[in-house]
Amino acid sequence: MDNLIILAVLISCGYFFGRHAEKKHYRSIVERENALISLPITSSRHVMILREIDSSRLVLGGVVISVDYFKRILAGLRNIFGGNVRSYETLLDRARREAVLRLRESCLDADEIINLRIETSSISKGGDSKIGCVEVLAYATAIYYKK
Amino acid sequence: MKYLPSLPEKNDNVSHNHPLSEFALLSAGLILFFGIVYLILGLLVDLAAEKISYETEAALFQALSSRVDYFDPQNDDLAEEKQRVQQIVDDLQTCTDLPYAIQVHIVKSDETNAIALPGGHIAVFTGLLQAVPQDNGLAFVLAHELGHFQNRDHLRSLGRSLVFYSLSAMLTGGNSSISGLLAPTFGLTAAQYSQARESMADRIALDTCNCRFGNINGAVDFFRYIIEMKLDSNLQIFHYFSSHPETQKRIDELKAYADSKGYQYSSF
Amino acid sequence: MDITNTETFPGKTIIASHGVVSGSTVRAKHAGRDIMASIKNVFGGELKGYTELLEESRNEALERMQNQAKQMGANAIINVRFSTSSVAAGASEIYVYGTAVTVE
Repeated sequence: MDNLIILAVLISCGYFFGRHAEKKHYRSIVERENALISLPITSSRHVMILREIDSSRLVLGGVVISVDYFKRILAGLRNIFGGNVRSYETLLDRARREAVLRLRESCLDADEIINLRIETSSISKGGDSKIGCVEVLAYATAIYYKK
Repeated sequence: MKYLPSLPEKNDNVSHNHPLSEFALLSAGLILFFGIVYLILGLLVDLAAEKISYETEAALFQALSSRVDYFDPQNDDLAEEKQRVQQIVDDLQTCTDLPYAIQVHIVKSDETNAIALPGGHIAVFTGLLQAVPQDNGLAFVLAHELGHFQNRDHLRSLGRSLVFYSLSAMLTGGNSSISGLLAPTFGLTAAQYSQARESMADRIALDTCNCRFGNINGAVDFFRYIIEMKLDSNLQIFHYFSSHPETQKRIDELKAYADSKGYQYSSF
Repeated sequence: MDITNTETFPGKTIIASHGVVSGSTVRAKHAGRDIMASIKNVFGGELKGYTELLEESRNEALERMQNQAKQMGANAIINVRFSTSSVAAGASEIYVYGTAVTVE
């Protein structure tokens, strides 16, 4: 009986706080994406605009986002029935967009960003098969043209 | 090459339905599926329990017998108690159809309880001996345990727990958090089942006592003690999950049963 | 929509670039497939259930990426890369990303 109560408390905490954090994060992501839209970014290796290049450097953006209890329970249930794990989709979407945004924010004065690559990995408590958090690293080359 | 940036309006990488509806659907599906399979397997367990003869049971739980002997008291004062209680049990056994001898073990503990173990053993705690010192009262409690033996209740509950935990492990993979979701489901169904078996054992105990003593005086001494000492939990909701029915309810049911069978009693 | 993992579009010229597009799915296997996989672990051989599952996931991820590119007004995607990772017990995530371009 007390197990049920503890479980209910954890799930509702996870749900309410998780939803709130997610909504806030998404708002921030959309705002920043709109602001940074003018900075060209591509996953291609070639520069888009053929001008003389002054310098280039590696830029990075990384983020680690954790899973809340509600998402974990949903993923566990999905594991039994199969299908899309919808609770994790938002998590990964947020993490990736955040990582790319941080990458762009780290080189606001660049003219172009090329060769974008994204790496995803999961961090969990050792031994456990439960996943604790998701880590996304975005890296690319920032190009500066000669003025 | 020109650069024409734009942001997509609709985010296709996420699903837009509400997670709570998904959660409700999946949990309901799981509990339903689990409930049905558990029900079917529970019926099979019941069938199997009735088929196991007393001899097979004694042979299967041979290993348990040697462990239980561990509890036997070395000191003399408890040895006297053991003899008294064993005598009561032997006398009660003549009124039942149990073919093997039930062994009594006394365990020093403040708990007011007696447990029936597979293989024909009853462990009686010294707390119980203090709660119901009179022979009549103690006899009812012991007859209740003998009733469990006759109904093969310990085998049933063992089988059901086994079924539940293996099913749960297979579906949810051992220690996952989903097992936490399923455990209360099991708790509730097991509790209801257990309460029904307890009521049956109560009735058999009354029959046995009546057969042995000719009357049922002092049969509910133990329940009265529980109520007096407020050992029963008070919140109504906990009774749904408890393995025994509420104490006052047990007394009332027994009274009704005694009246219907025309048993003699001076007080209840 | 045309998708390629080369730098330039074979046979056509790129006239505009629209930015990076991506598609991702997270899929879990169900308990039945899990049990079949454990049995296969004893005998060896291809896990057809999982192969099918991952193929479906990849197709879905590609479709999502194409939808995003369409919304941006592109008609091709170049430099496509795939990435698979495991983010939950028993679930795997397929992520595909590329640059959306207009070709002619």
